Amino acid sequence: MSLAAEAFVSQMAAAEPWPETATLYQPLKEDQILLSDCASSLAVQAYLRMCGLPVQVVCRANAEYMSPSGKIPFIHVGNQVVSELSPIVQFTKAKGHSLSDGLDDVQRAEMKAYMELVNNMLLTAELYIQWCDDATAAEISRPRYSSPYSWPLSNILAYQKQWEVRRKMNAVGWGGKTLEQVYEDVSQCCQALSQRLGTQPYFFNKQPTELDALVFGHLFTILTTRLTSTELAEKIKSYSNLLSFCRRIEQTYFEDKSSS
Amino acid sequence: MNQNMAAAMELRCWGGDWGLPSVHTESLIVLAYTKFAGAKVTVSPVDWTWKTLTATVPELLCGDSAVQEPTPIVNFLRKQRFNADFELSARQGADTMAYIALLEEKLRPALLHTFWVDAENYANLTRPWFASRSPFPLNFLVPPRHANIALSRILLTKGEAPLHRITEVEGKIYSDAKECLNLLSYRLGTENYFFGNSPTSLDAFVFGFVAPLYKAGLPSSPLQSHLRQLDNVTRFCDNILAVYFSSDHPYG
Repeated sequence: MSLAAEAFVSQMAAAEPWPETATLYQPLKEDQILLSDCASSLAVQAYLRMCGLPVQVVCRANAEYMSPSGKIPFIHVGNQVVSELSPIVQFTKAKGHSLSDGLDDVQRAEMKAYMELVNNMLLTAELYIQWCDDATAAEISRPRYSSPYSWPLSNILAYQKQWEVRRKMNAVGWGGKTLEQVYEDVSQCCQALSQRLGTQPYFFNKQPTELDALVFGHLFTILTTRLTSTELAEKIKSYSNLLSFCRRIEQTYFEDKSSS
Repeated sequence: MNQNMAAAMELRCWGGDWGLPSVHTESLIVLAYTKFAGAKVTVSPVDWTWKTLTATVPELLCGDSAVQEPTPIVNFLRKQRFNADFELSARQGADTMAYIALLEEKLRPALLHTFWVDAENYANLTRPWFASRSPFPLNFLVPPRHANIALSRILLTKGEAPLHRITEVEGKIYSDAKECLNLLSYRLGTENYFFGNSPTSLDAFVFGFVAPLYKAGLPSSPLQSHLRQLDNVTRFCDNILAVYFSSDHPYG
């Protein structure tokens, strides 16, 4: 959204309280959704649960096309549609719900820096593994991404998405990396997160923030998704405080979910 | 042992101007880190050579190995025991990674846009500078190539499908960049460096990103004006220039 549109949305958002009918849209859970989208969606769900805002999760095959920015997930609240975690955080802030108000400037800077670390490393690694690794792309990503469509549309859409992601990887300099290097980057990212978390329950001690939601979304999804190899999940499992962090958030905020 | 290897290290990078040892962000990061870590490298600017087109800059040559791009070069120097970060705690090392990611995601797109995509800056400053430092006929090829790479990088990472137009993302990338500069300013506070009294790799990265924006003679840049208002960040750059890159020995 352009800045003017964002400001307008914020003003409109501030006017109304959070309705009961808020919905979150994502691709089909069983057949279609991919690792990176599932992680982003879970991060937003965790954030909304942490804020105590009710939201219904609705699965649609064309969720990606419905989204205003083309990215998953997006929420439909009242008569506004907002996609991606950062704009959703701003949107809820305009409605008066925020998790990071208690932080001072330096802590907020740290929180934003760590969120960019997760986006820069974990999300990019997920995209790389899904679409640039030939084995995973052929066995998992392309079939799943195109499952709601019939041939030849399924082929066209799957290859188009793969081409798009590979272009993006080249642009950010990940095109030349090998799978081992990507796993190594994930490991370093997890090490940084683990060291920052230490023995605290959440990243900023007692209260969860959007950073906790984002990290939970990505780590939990990686741990519970079946890929062609378990190496990615193994990298995370070697950090016990990250595992107990995920378990803690799952138990605190998702205990009534029947499936994760 | 390592001293022999150290003497043989050569760094290829873009040359300097505007009071900086190099105008190119990645080259500047590596130059600053070599100073902070006390590594002796011979600097060979690629200006006026065909390497402006053929080489990936910056490039560190040491014996048989050639390493490119700032993060691998910094890691390589660390393995050679030129480590500016050895006094950092594990948590500070993690913070370093996070802040570097912040710079890459929030500041880099706006810097690329300011120097390579904004028509006035590109025509009046960037293209003439790079064209004048490239031999004929590369002066016609090198600047447009960098400009295309910059534009496609911005659109691919920040552009929202299906309308890949630069005007739509401009507002967002500049507001992200201003926020990033503010966050750096909060984090730096009144210290000389980001972690205590001696500079580390994070200081090198921040210096590399911020110094060109601070010092370049850009005809139109609201981002530069915003940066100049952040006194502690500009003082940070001036301090590094004075201590490590004084005019007596610009390259060491």
